[in-house]
Amino acid sequence: MAKERIPNWLNSSLWSTTPTVDDRLHCFSLSPTTTTTTAAAAVSEPIVQPTVPVSPPAAASRPQSTVTSQKYEFRDPIDKNSNNNSNDNDQNASPSGVSPDDISRQAQLLAELSKKVVNFRELRRIASQGIPDGAGIRSTVWKLLLGYLPPDHLQWSSELAKKRSEYKQFKEELLMNPTEITRKLEKSAVDDQSKSESSGLLSRSQVTHGEHPLSLGESSIWNQFFQDTEIIEQIDRDVKRTHPDMHFFSGDSPLAKSNQDALKDILVVFAKLNPGIRYVQGMNEILAPLFYVFRNDPDEEMAAAAEADSFFCFVELLSGFRDHFCKQLDNSTVGIRSTISRLSQFLKEHDEELWRHLEITTKVNPQFYAFRWITLLLTQEFNFADSLHIWDTLLSDPEGPLETLLRVCCAMLILVRTRLLAGDFTSNLKLLQNYPSSNISHLLYVANKLRSQASN
Amino acid sequence: MVLVLAIGDLHIPHRAPDLPPKFKSMLVPGKIQHIICTGNLCIEEVHDYFKTLCPDLHITRGEYDEDSRYPENKTLTIGQFKLGICHGHQVIPWGDLDSLAMVQRQLDVDILVTGHTHQFKAYKHEGGVVINPGSATGAYSSFTYDVNPSFVLMDIDGLRVVVYVYELIDGEVKVDKIDFKKTATASAH
Repeated sequence: MAKERIPNWLNSSLWSTTPTVDDRLHCFSLSPTTTTTTAAAAVSEPIVQPTVPVSPPAAASRPQSTVTSQKYEFRDPIDKNSNNNSNDNDQNASPSGVSPDDISRQAQLLAELSKKVVNFRELRRIASQGIPDGAGIRSTVWKLLLGYLPPDHLQWSSELAKKRSEYKQFKEELLMNPTEITRKLEKSAVDDQSKSESSGLLSRSQVTHGEHPLSLGESSIWNQFFQDTEIIEQIDRDVKRTHPDMHFFSGDSPLAKSNQDALKDILVVFAKLNPGIRYVQGMNEILAPLFYVFRNDPDEEMAAAAEADSFFCFVELLSGFRDHFCKQLDNSTVGIRSTISRLSQFLKEHDEELWRHLEITTKVNPQFYAFRWITLLLTQEFNFADSLHIWDTLLSDPEGPLETLLRVCCAMLILVRTRLLAGDFTSNLKLLQNYPSSNISHLLYVANKLRSQASN
Repeated sequence: MVLVLAIGDLHIPHRAPDLPPKFKSMLVPGKIQHIICTGNLCIEEVHDYFKTLCPDLHITRGEYDEDSRYPENKTLTIGQFKLGICHGHQVIPWGDLDSLAMVQRQLDVDILVTGHTHQFKAYKHEGGVVINPGSATGAYSSFTYDVNPSFVLMDIDGLRVVVYVYELIDGEVKVDKIDFKKTATASAH
């Protein structure tokens, strides 16, 4: 722990984790024109792959407790992403330009996807570095990673057709209201009656199984319907609040309305199929990126079936995190508390000083910030595009999304360590609950480095 | 799927203290979308109670109602159906189906909900359907003391109505239902 007070110049933006483009360009004093030539060079050799950042250069493996090492951290992504030329350094900072690295990755992914049988290990390896936004392949890659699409291309259409009709059936069965259900059950009786009498006392008929709208019986479909109404109302409220800043999800346009309806249907079907866990607030946030990506698939047929696809992928993704949403499991070994303490342990292993400062000195209980990070898979901490990038890594890592998530959370803490070490309870909590926007590639790089590496 | 409660002739507090407890336990807020009340509640407390069940309340005036602001008859449209309400003490002979049919044609409605006789009835004629939910408390009527508490719940779904009749017979709630469809030709649009 630093005994002397941190001098003010250390808190300047230069050492922070949000390097501006200018800063970095200035640091390494390179002109932008060089990038274009390397871009051309990179395209011509798509096979050249950026070095996988597992064995970092010696500079970065220095312990991170000194300020100077922070500066080296900035250099690392540069080295890592260089295609044998260390000249492209603005690829991560420029959101609109397609960097040479992106192009090469895109080419690799396309090559992998076009193979007859997709090699999952290869796919995972490439995808974990990030899926470029431009090509619209994220949708297909995610479906493969979540096990929705089988590796063999030939089986895709039959699998998709099967799953989509399954979803349609779920919708029909579960989203019917009791009037329709009772009508279906007594189809034959009604038609006879209406034709026979033109005037006179209407004949009364027995109610079957005591099924009437005011029934209070447990097994009554009406009673169940009214109980479900509460959940449906909550789902509706949450869906309307999802990503209010995005036109895709929010607003009065018919597009937003149809998307909201789709989200609602998926969540209602899920709640009805899983009476144990039903719907918990937050599930809408996990569903939203999936639906967004699938709906924006350039292939029209895929985009039209986005609802069914998102349902199954949502179920798959949630299966690893279900226990976090179950209140009764909070204190158990699989619940959210135990995951949070695992994160804490992880931090302790990798950065004891920071851990000590956070938990013991400033008493920032990890539950205050990590709860949202973990249950919502970091969708609320970064802007939408960045969270899609993080999800690329989460979904593609062979260790599984939960392990990767813990590593990323730990990396998030380590990257702001200077400010955390300098702060007290209030400022630390404020910082962690409003995590500053950062360079995502850098974050993922640091997270990767934490991979089962005994810290020094 | 719209649930409409048709209820009336409670005569609280003059002839009955309250709804039967079995009825009260079934009538919970949140399930019913509209309430149609034929009249003779008689006091404001009953009006407030109905308001807690459902905010959309339509009442017509019965001869013993203390609130004189209720209208004599009322019409409303729910889904594809036009409903009319009238207490029925104005229609003479009381409970006569032909006279009620006249009222129905006057109001030009598909379903006329009327009361006063304290007897449940559901009658169909060329002009439409007349429904009498009876007395919800089993209060004695001008004719007889032998009245079973009853009320009606209508489930309106498109062109079809399922009428659930709730009666309290010998202390037990009995539910029957009546189905009818509105034929497209019957509605003179």
